[in-house]
Amino acid sequence: MCLRPGMKAPDFEAQAYVKGEVKNIKLSDYQGKWVVLCFYPADFTFV
Amino acid sequence: MLAASVDTVFSHKVWDETELSKMIGEPVPFPLLWDKGGKMGQLYGVYDPDLGLNLRGRFIIDPDGVIQAIEVLNAPVGRNVNELIRQIQAFQYVRDHAGEACPAGWTPGKPTLKPAPSLAGKVWEVWKPEN
Repeated sequence: MCLRPGMKAPDFEAQAYVKGEVKNIKLSDYQGKWVVLCFYPADFTFV
Repeated sequence: MLAASVDTVFSHKVWDETELSKMIGEPVPFPLLWDKGGKMGQLYGVYDPDLGLNLRGRFIIDPDGVIQAIEVLNAPVGRNVNELIRQIQAFQYVRDHAGEACPAGWTPGKPTLKPAPSLAGKVWEVWKPEN
């Protein structure tokens, strides 16, 4: 599927590392807040 | 702010401890997500199956869960945080000010436009690129 602005962001659930802890995070946890979701190729890349 | 790559949370931990926290002087304050097998990247259309990695895709999502902006960069070029912040400020502004629109290059404090039939063809009278 090709997402476009104006579409609902698909929900997801993933394990996440945050400040020394591993947590389960869902996009829907952030309902009511602005979210910036950034994908990047890999850890230890250069830019 | 949520960041995601196909690396495990254990890789994220070591990357934060050995490199990122040294760049910014503290641990990364936002979650680093483990996108197992690129499933999230596929859902968002930024997964490159040839590389087995996600491209630099960035989505601004509003409080209703609606995508307001998408940017996708190929791997060798990094993003611009100032432009990201400008876009968030502009989308927050128009969300709070119905009927207004932010012209090209808008930053907070600059004039906005109120699209209406009377403005058609007359934007040049009220707005110039150097604004």
